[in-house]
Amino acid sequence: MEVKSANDSGITVITPMGRVDTSTAKVFEDAVMAAADANGKIAISFDSIDYISSAGLRVVLMLGKKLKASNGTLVLINMPEKIFSVFKMSGFDKILKICANFDEAKPLFG
Amino acid sequence: MLFEIKNKIDEITYLCDTVKAYCNSNDISDEKYHDIVLILDEMVTNIIMYAYPDGGEHVFSVEIEKTNDSYVNITITDNGIAFDPLAKDDPITSLDIEEREIGGLGIFLVKQLSECIEYSRIDDHNKLNIKVAIVKKEENHGSQERK
Repeated sequence: MEVKSANDSGITVITPMGRVDTSTAKVFEDAVMAAADANGKIAISFDSIDYISSAGLRVVLMLGKKLKASNGTLVLINMPEKIFSVFKMSGFDKILKICANFDEAKPLFG
Repeated sequence: MLFEIKNKIDEITYLCDTVKAYCNSNDISDEKYHDIVLILDEMVTNIIMYAYPDGGEHVFSVEIEKTNDSYVNITITDNGIAFDPLAKDDPITSLDIEEREIGGLGIFLVKQLSECIEYSRIDDHNKLNIKVAIVKKEENHGSQERK
């Protein structure tokens, strides 16, 4: 599994590629946690994954908690409908910020 | 289709490839492939991680069968330690981010994505039957209210 990372307007945009499951969650976790240590403004783009399992959702929740505690911002973007439905079932749509795309997410970073 | 999985986490890749090929050759949509592979990932991962605490090499079986145009039946049989996934409490999904527990979502997602789940312990084997609807349901799972 590959995790891409880019900087756009001072925001770190992380794009996991492929499957975010138990066998790849550690790579994803290391990438997002390192990014969060370096910059409190993080967007994760979900347009390049096949699916995210509970192991991946755990990482997103951990990151959300970490950034909330440090007054950072996390916005989830570019989520295909099937991925969004998994976040919704988990109740994560109520505790995490989800935007259609990067342009809509930008103002949330202040 | 019946296939075997070893209790090694790398096997998830083989599982996904096998499910993808099965869905492609049985006219199962990408959307339903997503649900089926996620269900299998969660349950198979549980077995790989927890069913064989002795750490030795073991093999268990997965069967996927499209019974008709409406349903796919998944059967997972392992001879690991007894584990009833339905006995676990669901996570509380209405809590704030600070209170949400990290973990415990896997089986909950499987319950949400499937039509019915049956667990039985027979002759030292765990047997899990999961029925998945492959026709689009009327309910609007996908009505999205994005900000």
